[in-house]
Order: sequence, then structure tokens, then C-alpha cells
Amino acid sequence: MNPLPPEWLPRSNAVNLLAGAFLLSALYAAAQRRALSAVAAYRLNSVALGLIALVVAFATGSRQVALAALLIAAIKAIVLPALLARRVRRGRGAATSEPRTGVPAGMLACVALAVVGFGRARALLGPGLDILASCLPVSLAGTLVGLFVMVSRREAVMQVVGLVLVENAIFLAAVSLAYGMPLLAGIGVLLDLIVGVVLYGPFAGRIEATHGDTGTSRLTDPRG
Amino acid sequence: MAWILPIPLVAAIGALACLWLGASRWTARTLLAATALAFALSLALAGRVLSVGPVRAADGWLQADALSALVAAIVSGIALACAAYGVHYMAAVGSHERAEARWPAGRHEALLLLLLACILLSALADSLGLLWIAIEGATLASALLVGVHRRPGAVEAGWKYLLLSSVGATLALFATVALFHSAVHVFGEGPAGLRWTALRGAAGRLDPRFVKLAFLFAIAGYGATAGLAPIHSWLPDACTQAPAPVAALVSTGLLATSLAALLRFHSVAIGCVGPGWPNGLMTLFGIASMLVAVPFMLVQGEYRRLLAYSSIEHAGFVTLAVGLGSPLAVFGGLLHLVVQSLARALAFLVGGTLGRAHGSRRMDHWGGALAASPALGALLVGAGLGLAGLPPAGTFVSEWLALTGGFGGPRLGAAIVAIAAFVVVFAGLAYHWTRMALGPPRARFEDRLPAASRLPLWILLGLLLLLGAWVPAPVRALLEQAARVVLP
Repeated sequence: MNPLPPEWLPRSNAVNLLAGAFLLSALYAAAQRRALSAVAAYRLNSVALGLIALVVAFATGSRQVALAALLIAAIKAIVLPALLARRVRRGRGAATSEPRTGVPAGMLACVALAVVGFGRARALLGPGLDILASCLPVSLAGTLVGLFVMVSRREAVMQVVGLVLVENAIFLAAVSLAYGMPLLAGIGVLLDLIVGVVLYGPFAGRIEATHGDTGTSRLTDPRG
Repeated sequence: MAWILPIPLVAAIGALACLWLGASRWTARTLLAATALAFALSLALAGRVLSVGPVRAADGWLQADALSALVAAIVSGIALACAAYGVHYMAAVGSHERAEARWPAGRHEALLLLLLACILLSALADSLGLLWIAIEGATLASALLVGVHRRPGAVEAGWKYLLLSSVGATLALFATVALFHSAVHVFGEGPAGLRWTALRGAAGRLDPRFVKLAFLFAIAGYGATAGLAPIHSWLPDACTQAPAPVAALVSTGLLATSLAALLRFHSVAIGCVGPGWPNGLMTLFGIASMLVAVPFMLVQGEYRRLLAYSSIEHAGFVTLAVGLGSPLAVFGGLLHLVVQSLARALAFLVGGTLGRAHGSRRMDHWGGALAASPALGALLVGAGLGLAGLPPAGTFVSEWLALTGGFGGPRLGAAIVAIAAFVVVFAGLAYHWTRMALGPPRARFEDRLPAASRLPLWILLGLLLLLGAWVPAPVRALLEQAARVVLP
């Protein structure tokens, strides 16, 4: 197989458009007070990721990548958000949370992180035109935004949303770097399933059982 | 084929057997037998690698060179010691604590064996994808073991561990993808581009930009599971909340195999972009981890948290030793990987007994161990010597070798900082250890574990002291070959 993308791809705006939607939905998730809205934004994020994978699959003509794209869509855009939303509705804890910094300052921080991510990735790649050049900067920016959500929120659900945002962003890089490597796509989805279904569920239940709600503020006392 | 595959398989089958046996008295025996068999097979593999060189198996998914054989032997040996001790330790755990865990009988043993199987698989994997899966599996198994009790502290530790290790895992996945991408123009898009042996053989032809990116993410990602700064803060909580044998296995086995994974990325990076940049990064992370850990070791009140920070410090030192770059330093670093595992496993296990005997985990509630029980006191002092790197413990020799190698190399300043850190650590450990070991015994001291539980500890101490006095020829040959794997 030819490792380089076909010629029409760099000229296509589809990937650029979808990458933009990906980044915007990550930023939108970071700005939410309600956990349910953040989960919905994460769902959009996953849909954008799945569509990018689909475009890559068409471009390379690879059935395996198409299969991976469908897997992404099924797990990340349907199963995981549904699980998270169910946990939020059933939880006794507050369904809203704010970044420690407050929403406006948090947004500014996220935008700054996105700019930094773009800048670093551009410096690494140089002025490229291929699918990588449009996805890797978005991926790096998305990673930073997701990490910010993880460290700035106290609610367990929001920390998980941050984590799955980071995973989506890394996954975007994986799809654009290793198109044609279904093993990697497979294990990435597997990771999602394990974290989301097997471990997150029981642990959130335990946090509720031992602390009375799913707020992790009492879990984060700084210690030596 | 027959040499490698049975090693992780034995542990995995043992795990299933434990789950099936449940509350039967055969569960503990199965755990013991599976770890003993895995250890024996690992030693046989090490002998095989020494005599005929690297072995491959399972259609190229697994391979064993000297580094894999070394890690497999350490990890399975420590697991055997933990299992032999754990049989007595878990029997002495109060029934209320077992009820608190709310786990069906046998699940604890099964998870312990699953953890061991994943660690051994990751040590023996050739495919970097398989390596990632195995390490991820090991962290998930240990996260469940850490959160075994339903007290707030254990839930917190498990949650923190889960989130941070997931971040580490995604970073490591990205590193794997980036390395794969750097080789697409050499190997095409098939799974051959994930084979470490193939990647290292073709290191000179890889795309250096993506190799650098991969190494950067690998050192952050696999560094997280090894306990390197900056993603190290899960380790103290995890070590405090897990049962003592689990803490010993996590902080030695997971550390060893994650560092080995990092060393594999490192050797590809060196082959591609030359030694300067990767070694500089290793030195930076190593020094940072040591400096982060040292202040917390001075002011620490809880024994197991102290050991966790000591683990961060030692992981940092192994990383630094490899970063120092000379063959002698790498040899010393690998020897250190072995002896510090012995020392810390010993420290965790003897701490388990002492903690039960004092009814507390805090060091200021401990005292006069030597007077109360000379055997436990001697084991505690031996562990202290090992952690502080004092003669006659093996850690003294390994630190000395690595630093001597560093003085001949280009990173003299880093070696000097490491020595300064060791001096401060020595002062801190000397303070804690004199208070714990000397003085009159505490009134409430009551050793509830049978003398047989101390046998594996004596063996660990014996090996620690033996390696300080004399490194047997086969071990030395294995270490030398492993050093050549790390530094081609």
C-alpha cells in the first residue's frame, strides 16, 4: 500500500472542517457548567473524530480503517456518552460544576493552550499540506484542553470527560498518523471501553458510597 | 517458542485457577505454585538467552533478549517472595478488613497473578502494541488491587491511580503510534513496523522528527507507570492503600517493566538521532524525579509513603544512570534496577509485619524494633541499608558503578547533583531508621505473623547483601548483555 495520502486529500477541505469542529467541541465541553452538556459536547467531539476517520478510510480505500471508524462512532459517540449521562442522572451529587478558575478565565486558559498547541505542532511539522498537518496541531491543542479540564474540575464525571477528551485527541493523531494500522485503533477503543465501563462505573459508585456524592474535592487534599 | 510463551501463560492460568477455586485452601497454594513455576521458567529463559542469544516466539510477537530475561527474572522472583509472604500476611488480616473488601474469595489472588502475567508479558513483548496492552492491563489490575478496601483513602488512591495511569497510557499510545509512523516509509503499513527488533535494526532510516516526538511521549507516558516525575503522585497513595505484598509487587515489578519499555524507546531514539538528545532528556527526568522525591522523604511520617518516595528516587536514579551514557553507567543502572527492587520489596514486606505488630502505619508509633524482635529488627536495618545505598548492600555497588561511569562522561554536573541527593536521603533515612530500630520496644508490640513468614525476607536480604559483595558470573554476563541491548 502507498503510505502517502492520495493527491485529492490535501485539497479537500473536509478534513480541515471536521478538525475545526473537533477542536470547537472540545472547547465547548471545557466551558460547560452542567455535566450533561459537557457529555453532549464530548459526543459531538467523538462524531467529528469518527467522520475524520471515515474520510481517511475513503481516501486510503482501506476497509480496516472504515471498520475502525465505525467502531469509534459506536463506542465513543454512543456507548460511552450514554454511560456517562446515565451516571450523571443517577448520581446523588451536584450535576453542575465550575472550573476552579471560573468559566471565563478557564476559557481564556483553554484558548491560550490551544494556541500554544498549534504553534508547537506547526514548529515540529513545518508548513505541510497533508492530512497530518491539519490534524496534528488540532490533536495537540485538544490534548492540552482535555488535560486542563481534568485538573480544573472537582466533579468525578467532569474529570472523566477531560480524560476521554484527551483520549479523543490522541486518537485523532493516531488516525492521521497511522492510517492503515487497525491494531492501534482497536486497542485505543478497547482502552475506552475498559476505563469507561469496567472501572469508572464501580469507582464512581464507591466514591458515592464512601463520600456521599461524586465530588472529588475531598479526594484532593494535597499531601506529602 | 517453548522458552518464552509459558512464562506469562503460567501466571494467567494460575489466575483463572484461583478464581475457580475461590475459598478453597488450594487457592493460596496455587498462587505460590504459579509464581514459583514462573520464576523457575524465567531463570531457565535467562540461561537460554545467555547460551544462545536472543530468543523469539509466537510468530514474532514475543522475544527475549538479555534485558527481557533480566526483568522477567527479577519480577517473578519478587512475586514469589510476595506470594510466600502474602500467604501468612493475608491469613493474619482481620476478618473485618476482609469483609470491608467485599470481594469473593480468590479474587485477590487471581488479580495478583493477572498483574504478574501482564508484567511478564510486557517484559517479553516484541510488538510495541502488545507491550502497551500488557502495561495497560497491569495498571488496570493494580488499580483494582489498590482500591480493594472501601475506606475513603483507598477509594481516593484507586481513583487517582486510575486517572493518572490512563493519562500515562494515552501518552504512551501516542508514542507507539508516532514511532510506527516514523517507520512507515521503511516497513510499509503492516504490523512489522511495530516490532521493536525491526525498528531498532532500522533505527538509522527512521524519520527523526517523529522518533523524537515518540521518545518525548514515551518518557512521559511510561514514566508515569514507572513513577517518574511529573506524573508520580499516584504512587504514594497507591503504596499506602494496597496490601503490603501488592504494594511491593507494584512498586518493583511495574517500575522495572515500565523502565525497560522506556529503555527500548530510548535505544531506538539513540540509533536514530544520536545519543545527545535522548540522554539529555533521560538525565533531566531522572534528576527531576530524584529532586522531587528527596524533600518528601525527609519530612515523611508514614512508612509506606516514605518507601513510595524512595521508589520514585530510585526510578529517577536508574533513568539518570542510563542518561549518563557511558557503558559503565548503564551497567550500574541495570544492576541498580535489580538490587533496589530487592531492597524495596524487603522494606515493604518487613514493614507489613511491623505495621501489624504496632497496629499503626506511622513511623512515630514504631520504635525499638531490634529490642522487641531481633529478627524483624535486623531485616528492617538491612532494608534501610539497601534503600540508603550503604555498604554492604548491593545498592552501594550499583550507585558507585553508575556514578563512576558518569564522572567519565559529558554529564558531570548531573552525577554531582545525584550524589548530593543521596547524601540528603541518607540523612533522612538514618533519622527515621534510628528511631524505628533503636530504643526501648513499644508496649503494644505484638508480632502476629509466624516465623515462616520471615523466610522469604531473609532470602531477599541475603541476595541484597550477596550482590553487594560479589556479582556471580552468570548474573554479570546477563547484566553486560542487557547493557548492550540498552546501549548498542
